[in-house]
Amino acid sequence: MDSRNGELHPAADGGAEAERLFARHFDALEGIFEFVSEFFVANGIEASNAFDVQVIIEELFTNLVKYSKGATHDIAIRLKRRGEHLEIRLVDVDVEAFDMTRIPEVDTAKRIAEKKIGGLGLHLVRKMADDISYEYVDRQSRITILKRLQS
Amino acid sequence: MAMFEIKNRGDGVLAVSGRLDASQAEMAEKRMNAIQESVRVDLGGLDYISSAGIGVFVKTQLRLQAAGHALKLVNLHPRVRAIFHFAGLEQLFGIE
Repeated sequence: MDSRNGELHPAADGGAEAERLFARHFDALEGIFEFVSEFFVANGIEASNAFDVQVIIEELFTNLVKYSKGATHDIAIRLKRRGEHLEIRLVDVDVEAFDMTRIPEVDTAKRIAEKKIGGLGLHLVRKMADDISYEYVDRQSRITILKRLQS
Repeated sequence: MAMFEIKNRGDGVLAVSGRLDASQAEMAEKRMNAIQESVRVDLGGLDYISSAGIGVFVKTQLRLQAAGHALKLVNLHPRVRAIFHFAGLEQLFGIE
């Protein structure tokens, strides 16, 4: 299923898919969480998976909002069920490249000891996601996450 | 969506509820700035937390510890506890 207005339709490979655009502001998070919940209900995905998926998306979305300098376009979030995995893709257009997969792992205990707090979001995504990949094509940043679903 | 709230339970314990995401973090930090002494914080009503929310708790704890005080977090929802665990922060908050 796919759609650019959030409605679900069958995708070419048979997997359920939905995509929606969100304004690059933290206030968009409520709508993002609702989008995740709607997709889960429509596709019979166990609600207990929502927490992790919402954290992953929030961390990636807020990083794009905070660190894509000069960016003005809405951010696209696509959800696609791939068997026992959920594929989450965030697409940010007309931006400079920012490959978060190349950022070194954070030693959280060391950071706390040094009274530093940042860098935790990406750390959580790495702990919770089964796969993370990044592409930069035609000034578009595409971050794709695979998350195994619990049934 | 349940807004983040902190309430004094009346028995010396603060009760936290709702969701603590990036859109709530600024407000939550203002509320947490009112904590000036050691206190137990019951997180049983906290349904969701992200790194932004963790940051609010960490800032508060570091501030209190510098003054000889501390938060002790109790009654965490399993997924919330997992976030603190992934962040390596269980020891900082005395989470058992």
